[in-house]
Amino acid sequence: MTKYAINRRNFLGASSALVGLALMPSAARAEGDTIKLGTLTPLTGAGGPYGPVMTQTAKAVIDEVNAAGGVLGKQIELISEDDQTNPEAGVRAARKLIDVDQVSAIIGTWASSVTTAVAPLCWESGTFLATVSGADAITALPHQGYLVRTQPNTTLQGRKFGEFALEKGAKRVYFVSPQTPFAESQYTNMAKAVEAGGGETDSLVYDDKKPSYRSEVDEIMRFKPDAVVLGGYAPDTTVMLKELYRAGFEGIKIAFAYAVNQQVLDGVQKEVVEGCYTIAPSSNENATAYKRLVDLIGVEKPDPYTVQVYDQTNLIIMAMAAAGDSTGTAIKDAIRTISQGDGTTVDNAVDGLKLIAEGKAVNYEGASGPCDFTDTGDISNSSFRYEQVLDGKFSFINIA
Amino acid sequence: MLAYFIFALTIGGIYALLALSLNLIWGGVGLVNLGLVGFFAIGAYVSAILTGAGMPILVGWGAAIIIGAIAGFVVTLATTRLRDDYLAIVTLGLAEVIRLVALNERWLTNGSDGISGIQAPLKSVLGNQGFNLFYMGLVSLVVLVVWALLRRIDMSPYGRAMKAIREDQELAAFAGKNVLSFKVQAFALSAAIAGLAGALYAHFQSYISPDHFQPLITIYIFLAVASGGVGRPAGGVLGAYLVVFFLELTRFVPNLLPDFAPAQFAAIREIMIGTALLLVLHFKPQGLLPERIIPAPKP
Amino acid sequence: MTILLQALLNGIMNGTLIAVPAIGFTAIFAVLRFPNFAIAAYATIGAFAAWWVNVHLGAGVLPALIVAFAVAGFAGVAAEETALKGLRGSGALTVAIGSIALNVVLENIIRLYFGNDLRGYDLPIVPDWRFLGLRVGPQQLQSLMIAVAIMAAMFAFLRFTKFGKAMRAVADNADLARLKGIDPAKVALLTVFLGAGLAGTGGVLIGLDASIDPMLGYRVLLTVFAAAVLGGLGSIQGAVAGALLIGIAEECALLVIPPTYRSAVGFIAILLVLTLRPRGIFGERAA
Repeated sequence: MTKYAINRRNFLGASSALVGLALMPSAARAEGDTIKLGTLTPLTGAGGPYGPVMTQTAKAVIDEVNAAGGVLGKQIELISEDDQTNPEAGVRAARKLIDVDQVSAIIGTWASSVTTAVAPLCWESGTFLATVSGADAITALPHQGYLVRTQPNTTLQGRKFGEFALEKGAKRVYFVSPQTPFAESQYTNMAKAVEAGGGETDSLVYDDKKPSYRSEVDEIMRFKPDAVVLGGYAPDTTVMLKELYRAGFEGIKIAFAYAVNQQVLDGVQKEVVEGCYTIAPSSNENATAYKRLVDLIGVEKPDPYTVQVYDQTNLIIMAMAAAGDSTGTAIKDAIRTISQGDGTTVDNAVDGLKLIAEGKAVNYEGASGPCDFTDTGDISNSSFRYEQVLDGKFSFINIA
Repeated sequence: MLAYFIFALTIGGIYALLALSLNLIWGGVGLVNLGLVGFFAIGAYVSAILTGAGMPILVGWGAAIIIGAIAGFVVTLATTRLRDDYLAIVTLGLAEVIRLVALNERWLTNGSDGISGIQAPLKSVLGNQGFNLFYMGLVSLVVLVVWALLRRIDMSPYGRAMKAIREDQELAAFAGKNVLSFKVQAFALSAAIAGLAGALYAHFQSYISPDHFQPLITIYIFLAVASGGVGRPAGGVLGAYLVVFFLELTRFVPNLLPDFAPAQFAAIREIMIGTALLLVLHFKPQGLLPERIIPAPKP
Repeated sequence: MTILLQALLNGIMNGTLIAVPAIGFTAIFAVLRFPNFAIAAYATIGAFAAWWVNVHLGAGVLPALIVAFAVAGFAGVAAEETALKGLRGSGALTVAIGSIALNVVLENIIRLYFGNDLRGYDLPIVPDWRFLGLRVGPQQLQSLMIAVAIMAAMFAFLRFTKFGKAMRAVADNADLARLKGIDPAKVALLTVFLGAGLAGTGGVLIGLDASIDPMLGYRVLLTVFAAAVLGGLGSIQGAVAGALLIGIAEECALLVIPPTYRSAVGFIAILLVLTLRPRGIFGERAA
């Protein structure tokens, strides 16, 4: 290897040139001939299995809208950053999106800690934030309307899981999850529902980085549960499912749809996941957005995060059209005018934009739910989509 | 754009403090602290918890420094018998344990939710822009002060003794230096600085969580010290700003490589960072600023 | 009592997953005298290589293990030659830090090519055998036997073959070995090949129980270190013993502490043992 002296001047000179070169295209664009939206998703780190598809989905929606003429007469440009499933990195990425790219909105923050860290940057700069994070504390932040969340809160979800377990005839329900901000709340609400139905519950929080959970499963089996509710993410749930299988658990398995998604199905043996129920937030059964999303991105079973990003992107674009302006503040003020109310039902931005241009009222019904937001940014209601894994495939049961 | 630079400079300052911390023990006494991020976390949480309980900010920061020092003290004493390679691995495990405690002890740290609404000094008075500018100035000032302090130590007989220990522990002991005492003091001071960095970070961001304190930061700080100059406080500071500059610079490279999907590009970014560290280690193992060996004064 | 026995069994089965990469790690340490963080990436590379031949060529477990060994071994040698060899002159610490950087690069090369999606082997899963109120996984037993076989093979290799003896000579004293005509550079290459290859094999075993993604190795890195350190850096038997002990310690600890602190157990264990026995259980191979 030849050594060459990097002296300070050369290094700084070279990197300044590089910065200049790299910034030039964005400087040229900053004139305002495009509208900029940002995605901030986990492309590396623990959330890695989820981030890439989320970003692709936002891009697919934006491409569709651009092909139909864009919004407010301009094309939309998407800038994607990686939050590395880490709020320290996420904040740096958000700062770049907000201060340099000057995006109107940031879509898809996943980890609750990243969302909580990035939210103040957004409301302080007038940038709109749409998140899929589940921690209850997020919508309690003083975000002044700059934040919406398409993920149902734990009170509703927990209850639904409990009721579903009872419905399937379980009397002893066990909840397992890694240490997440919503684990406790999910369990409490689930337990309330089960106990109200005369059942008993217990729970266990596990370390999500392990390749095996034998003793954890031993403890679960000691409770003799009829049903186990899986509240983790794909990597650790894969291990948990295998361990439950090996331990001979024959009861009901109920999982969050993001815990047991297509990746998990493709990655485990059929017996391991057979019969597992999945629950995902959804619109009512007449809604067409879900099917449309599946066709758009070509993924047969998109996980709940992907589905929510589809909705968030559509909503933000329509809000801009309705407001007649593309700033974050405009989105914040207009979003509820197109997400709920008495307008014509639409399931995508292209159709919505046409109607808005004609001066008609629209009401977006999304793939993840009716997308009607409360003042604090939570969704006011959601149905749930129940599916079951049968013979290695997801089989739709119903929406309730 | 200006706001971005101000922000980057503030983060650079925080990293600079961490680099000064690492440089003190690695470039100074030659101990490897792969658990640097753990002390960063301790300082952040201590200040956040105390100010959350109503204590004034300066008390929070002071406590972060003191408790950081105590933590450093305890860790050194617990690991005195360990050789360097073992110490590296044990400190790595330590940072992980600290993160686990922060994650699971909800009563103390609010668990995975993290602590929000940490007091940002003078923010209501100065407004957002003013606050960011003020804080950048504050952090830079602290960096300057700590740097000056460490530089004095570096150039003093005390600093020479530490370097003697770094080069050859047994010889230094033979020469009459109380090796353990030096190590403990250096580690405690180093941990105190890392704790201060944590406190400053917590009050800047107004939010901390266990997820903030991942081993990746330790890697960045090693890159900072290695590239800036091992054994010289100014080197660590320079390296830290360079690292932040480089980290942020890599975000703009997609403009030059438009054919990759964002997920692929994220991987490329990380490859660039790892490669940068390897290149620095190869071509400039002593970093950009060479170490200054101050000759001993003539008798 | 059954619960304790089961915890013991669980610990042995879990510890097995860590044993093989730990052997690889400790072997590299013994000869090259630095902790190699890239072990995580080598394990991941091995797991992916095995996956590829399993899914695309229908290879079974044993062929997949061999492929994993070879691919990870060659990857290790390539990485070593380009990234780490030039650093050896600057001291063990620099090489160790270089290996951290190398690990980041390798993990992301895998991510670049394969993405973050979880994958799994196309192999059957077997439920546990039950007896006397206890349960044991046959596949885990198989992994245990593989780990023990590898340990025995390494032991024999080091003791009875020319290369093995050369490795031990270099581990003991590189200069003296050079005097005896042994080329430390060649021995280093071989050691890295073996160490990385073993890590790759370990990665396959982990992938069988968990799932395969770019972070596979990273998740177990700390435990692998803890196992090698506990057993005494540089000792092959130590790596296996350390791995099993940590597995058992974690499982038994779960009976009293919450499962969220499992990882902390390994750390506490090594701290305790090292305080009482600074060289680890089996001591170090070389001073």
